[in-house]
Amino acid sequence: MRDLLYASPMAVMIIGAFVLMIISRDNLSLNRYNIISVAFLSLSLILQIYTFDKGNSTYLFESAFGKTFIIDKFAKLFDLMFTIGSILTLLINTDYFKRQNYFNGEYFAIILFSVFGMMMLSHSNELVSSFIALEIATLSIYTLVGYHKFKKASSEAMMKYIILGSLAGALFMLGVALIYGAVGSTLFSDITIYIKNTNIDEMNLLLVGATLMMITIMFKIGAVPFNSWVIDVYQGAPSPITMFMASTFKISVFALALRLYLVSFSPINEFWIEILQAVTIATLIGGSLLAISQQRIKRMLAASSIVHTGYMLIALSSIGLGAQMAASSLMFYLIAYFISSVGAFGIISFLSSQEQFDLTYNDFKGFAERRPYMALLMSIFMLSLAGFPSTIGFLGKFNIFTSSIESGQIFITALGITTAFISVYYYFKLIAVMYFYSTDPRQNKLPIDVSTVLIFLMAGFVIWGGIGTNLILNIPGADSFINIAQDAISSLKNK
Amino acid sequence: MENILTYIIFTPVIAAIILGAIRADIRSLKIGAILSSVIVFFLTLYLSINFNPNEMMQFSRTLPWISSAGFSYHVGLDALSFVLLSIVTLLMPPLYIYMHTESRKGYWYNMMLLQTGVSGAILSLDLILFYLFWETMLLPIFIMIGKYGNSMHQYNAMKILLMTILGSMSMLFSILYLGHIYFETFGVWSFNLNDLSELSLSVTTTSWLAAGFLLAFAIKIPLLGFHTWMAPAYASSPTPAVIILSAIMAKLGAYGIWRFGYSLFEEVLIYYKPYIIFIAIIGMIYYAIKAVTEDNLRRMFAYASGSHLSLIALGVILSNSYAWSGSLYFIATHALASAGIFLMIGLTYKRFKTINISDLGGIAQRLPRFTFFFAFFALSIAGLPGTGGFVAELLIILGAFKHHFTIGILSATSVLLAMLYIFWMLQRTLFGSVNIYIKDTAADDLNSKELLMLTPLVIMLLLTGIAPSLFTPYIEPYILQSLDGITPLLTGIK
Repeated sequence: MRDLLYASPMAVMIIGAFVLMIISRDNLSLNRYNIISVAFLSLSLILQIYTFDKGNSTYLFESAFGKTFIIDKFAKLFDLMFTIGSILTLLINTDYFKRQNYFNGEYFAIILFSVFGMMMLSHSNELVSSFIALEIATLSIYTLVGYHKFKKASSEAMMKYIILGSLAGALFMLGVALIYGAVGSTLFSDITIYIKNTNIDEMNLLLVGATLMMITIMFKIGAVPFNSWVIDVYQGAPSPITMFMASTFKISVFALALRLYLVSFSPINEFWIEILQAVTIATLIGGSLLAISQQRIKRMLAASSIVHTGYMLIALSSIGLGAQMAASSLMFYLIAYFISSVGAFGIISFLSSQEQFDLTYNDFKGFAERRPYMALLMSIFMLSLAGFPSTIGFLGKFNIFTSSIESGQIFITALGITTAFISVYYYFKLIAVMYFYSTDPRQNKLPIDVSTVLIFLMAGFVIWGGIGTNLILNIPGADSFINIAQDAISSLKNK
Repeated sequence: MENILTYIIFTPVIAAIILGAIRADIRSLKIGAILSSVIVFFLTLYLSINFNPNEMMQFSRTLPWISSAGFSYHVGLDALSFVLLSIVTLLMPPLYIYMHTESRKGYWYNMMLLQTGVSGAILSLDLILFYLFWETMLLPIFIMIGKYGNSMHQYNAMKILLMTILGSMSMLFSILYLGHIYFETFGVWSFNLNDLSELSLSVTTTSWLAAGFLLAFAIKIPLLGFHTWMAPAYASSPTPAVIILSAIMAKLGAYGIWRFGYSLFEEVLIYYKPYIIFIAIIGMIYYAIKAVTEDNLRRMFAYASGSHLSLIALGVILSNSYAWSGSLYFIATHALASAGIFLMIGLTYKRFKTINISDLGGIAQRLPRFTFFFAFFALSIAGLPGTGGFVAELLIILGAFKHHFTIGILSATSVLLAMLYIFWMLQRTLFGSVNIYIKDTAADDLNSKELLMLTPLVIMLLLTGIAPSLFTPYIEPYILQSLDGITPLLTGIK
């Protein structure tokens, strides 16, 4: 009964997905489907918040599944992000769904399936189930990317993503098989015991397997040189899906990576340091070069998301080098990136439903005069992504860089700061074109609806997460964002 | 009134937020902005009455901010920051009077945000807080140049943004590293200046850290080699932004060297003194020569201001009592004088629609009051006896002679060069035959509002020039005490 309560957020998600699937034949209006799916997501969100402090570090249905699924704060925090991310995706894009005719009921069912997959991934404590979870999430994303059937770019993006993604998935499976061959079990806890009791020279099989899995993870988060799909897929996918991918899916992969490399592989983490550092350097430089050269905002954001992956990889290798705060700084960066990118991509998809342009830099000329509030919000998200002080993005970078200094990676820190400097160029270019050009005085008032209120809210979080103090009673400040990250990480280690 | 510094910092931005939230029309926006600057003026007046020159850090206030990361809200005031704070406070009302015809709202909001950023940077004693304000004051300048500037302004705005952020990022790296060393030593995070100045570091580490800070400050001043943004940015900024750039933000670079340099890595500063002196001297002379060759008044005074700021930087780095008093004095008087001259250049453009020296000429015959104020500010830039600049330059040159004879001679040369370009410029713009541009425009002489805006500056410049003894008691104890702090090092290295 107790386990049922803990499982309820995921259960609600899967029930919701099936309900939506069944009623998708009824030809309800898209708005109706949207409301139903948001209702399921919100129900799940309420249950998640209700159970957030309950039953940490227990296994889900231990009698039936053994130690396959685990309940801890770490996973719950990720669940919260996925759920909030998808609620925001659906609500901010209500307008988009109304105007585009290619969506139908199944679309919402697939989103719920995908969220279910991600939640399963964050709770999974075993290799096969995490592979299944990963595939549930990715298969749904493949479908969503290609959802605009009659648009060439969309189908092309889907094909590219499927082919490369399946290859990466196959590598993961091979890795799992090799590890099973070495350990004789796929449970994370058994792997940990095996690693602790074995000499590093005698576990070649496990090392190869784990490295293969790492390649898959690198692929999914878009690290250079496994990034060839990122920009095209982000560009080709319908805008709400781009937002969904950037805000939830990318983060879910980090849930798996952290659990694996922080807990199971932690004794041999140093083995990967050099590979990780090489990938980090390539990702930071490659991502920056890609981002500078983009003309369309969506592509620029996609390319810059590669750079943000680079920052998170810095934290990952700091973990391997034993920096104490590295894990929680990565967790905090995930939260910070989540908030800022939901905002930025949210505005992009909000605009792409309203404005009839291509969203290149040039299209934003004079945007501040046309829509002053949207421009202001966009600037706040850009500042946060660029890591400007007084935003949550700054605090995120601050934590990453201090922990990487702590682990002695001075060169990589300097490189990180250099790429942060380069990122100022492409983020501020958008602010510059929005504010520096005048336009026909076409003053649009900010329409106050769900989408804009939510974007406003995210901008508020960005600022509050950067300067908020605990001095104001009853309102948690930036400190508590950091505390949440630390709690989540420590719940992961105490087992 | 224990939070008085906080009120001084945040009054303008809070006014801006309130005005923005109620969607104030342009008239109430103007009144609100002026009111906020007046409130800050009175708060600073209150400070100056209660300021005790014999104490070092006063009115300080420490509050926890983001404690797990070691950020604290720590502000305080000593003679050094008091000088800078007073020029900010004194200059804002005249700038608002200059802007009274300006009806673009963004202009006003940016100025209010700018005042908060600048006074916050002056008063903060926590490195992260300082970094926050240091970056905050850049944004309004970026928008002001890019949106309201003239001639290639978008390009120049991006240029100044990228160059200054390059400096900031290197400073950020040093700040983070310092915090990390503090964490290694004491087990907790802190970015408080008092805490960090107690660290003892190896020379190599400190040199790298110092380089990070100095790059940021050198770009802001700008010292020679870090100056390529200067002339374009000055030429394309709107007048109020130019004044903030030259009168306040450039001084903040020198302030940074002074405040953070001498408390965090004084050995490095003393060790590398000869190089910094070299850059400052070459810069001083190079900028002066560039100023002679410029035809555009804005660009000319950009280089002039670069030359004088190098002199200030020289004084700061020389660290003897003459040089330091001179620098601190020059920070204030040069701010007043350059604000005055850039206001006059703005008025020139308003009247004649040109600021090229070759297009002007014979203004004196038409506009006597205008001529007087223009000449007065230009001459006080050049250090005319009787104005504050003279006292300051004299003190710095004395300090330079005290340090080394050649340095004294060279710094005196740059002052002579200043005389050259100022007089030549005055002769070509104000006197001589009436130029065709001047003849055709129906330009009026200064009106009452413009007089109201310029007169306080003139009075202050004369007061600082004729009666320096009114002001020196405020700064002398500070100079002597802080020199005491570093004297052992000075003698130790020699």
